[in-house]
Amino acid sequence: MFETDDGPLNAVDPSDLEIGKGDFVSLLGPSGCGKSTLLMMIAGLEERTTGSIVLNGTPVNRPRNDVGVMFQESTLVPWRSVLGNIHLQLEMRGMNPEAHTSKVKELLNSVSLDGMEQMMPHELSGGMQQRAALCQALIHQPETLLLDEPLGKLDAMTRENIRRDLQRLWMDERPTVVMVTHSIEEAVQMSNRIFIITPRPGRVDQVIEVDLPFPRDLEIKREARFGAYMADIQAVFQGYGVI
Amino acid sequence: MSAKTLSRIGRWLSESWMMFAFFIAFFWFWEQSIDWFEIPEYILTKPSAIVSNASADLPRLMEYTYITGLETILGFLVAVLLALPLGLAITFSSILRRTIYPFFVSVEMVPKIAFAPLFISWLGFGLLPKVIIVFLVCFFPIVLNAILAFGSLSTELDRFAKVTGASGWKVFLKIRIPYALPQCFVGIKYAAINATVGAAIAEFIGSDQGLGFYIQIVTGNMRPDLAFAGIFLLTLLGLGMFGMVTLLERMMIPWHISQRRR
Repeated sequence: MFETDDGPLNAVDPSDLEIGKGDFVSLLGPSGCGKSTLLMMIAGLEERTTGSIVLNGTPVNRPRNDVGVMFQESTLVPWRSVLGNIHLQLEMRGMNPEAHTSKVKELLNSVSLDGMEQMMPHELSGGMQQRAALCQALIHQPETLLLDEPLGKLDAMTRENIRRDLQRLWMDERPTVVMVTHSIEEAVQMSNRIFIITPRPGRVDQVIEVDLPFPRDLEIKREARFGAYMADIQAVFQGYGVI
Repeated sequence: MSAKTLSRIGRWLSESWMMFAFFIAFFWFWEQSIDWFEIPEYILTKPSAIVSNASADLPRLMEYTYITGLETILGFLVAVLLALPLGLAITFSSILRRTIYPFFVSVEMVPKIAFAPLFISWLGFGLLPKVIIVFLVCFFPIVLNAILAFGSLSTELDRFAKVTGASGWKVFLKIRIPYALPQCFVGIKYAAINATVGAAIAEFIGSDQGLGFYIQIVTGNMRPDLAFAGIFLLTLLGLGMFGMVTLLERMMIPWHISQRRR
């Protein structure tokens, strides 16, 4: 019943979700619990049945345009180059690509894609594609970035590198980020708040504040306090019987 | 010719020489077997005789190729021009999707060629009934593939488009149309291959000119050599249609996976 993202809309009960400006929030839960649906509710693309969602201080009642999105499958269109795909975001929003040349350069540099503007998506590795998709999601400088398991299909090493890029970009620009993930480690490393979603029916059960300094690099993962957060969260999911 | 082009031709030859060798062997065997098995001329002639006899009848063959070609291209073009917008309309109109679409799916099951005698009896021996039959053969694969094409945007791209807040028209031009092109071409290519079949059969049934008419008449006159010449020209016509569509496809969707690394 909850197998797909497009399943019944009551798959998730937001139960008064509040996300503050500049937060990096992870929606952490087992697969099939409706995390993606919840993310689309935050974007205003899915109807909510109960509860309320407050994002950056305002309730979400209709589709929002001040967001950038990134999914597990890239949103790069195969008929446009990396640059063309970044421009697509601007063109769709009626913004002038020419006016954003320096911003495009800056973003591409920050994810090590400089010099690859003219490459076509199929010429890029999966990791490079997701880096380009990240630039596409950020070029219009959205207030909020919605990420739906954006690193889910990547190998472990590439994932580490993109996490680092993403964290740096978040620290520099400070958009509100909401990321769906099923990796406890990823949630602890990336977010200042973690919303734990219960399995079937999915609902926000606990909110965990992760009080660790940013940037969180590979070293911090070896520290006891990082391990303590992971252990606590694991215990919660063991309580649900999903691990 | 650049060195790159030359090396490409070289590679192509080294990959394809067996195919050419087989073709040559096939025609050589055909040529010889007429003598070996003492096959009479009214049953089958040598390929060399086909070439020489056909060139004697070249003016008529050229004229008929033109006529059949005209029927094929007209029927095909009208089908493309009507089927693509109609496919689009069906995708986005729930009324059309519940009325015309199931109707089209059922009509697709009907062999369109079976209508040929009716159209000839209604409209006579001229150009129009042939164009209509070619049209019927081409129209359905294009319209059904267009519906498939325009209706299958990936969830991610659909959500991306919605989040940008762009107008439906903009989403359509910048995302839906280019996204749909490869699948549209599947239908168009299928139609291009079958267009000549429609034209030839329509001419078999009722005609006083064209390659289908020619093949029927010369077969009746015990001239298999000339029938083969007609079949060859029909094949050439079909290849020409297919080649044009393939070229157009390569120009319009060079980014698609089917077009890469040829």
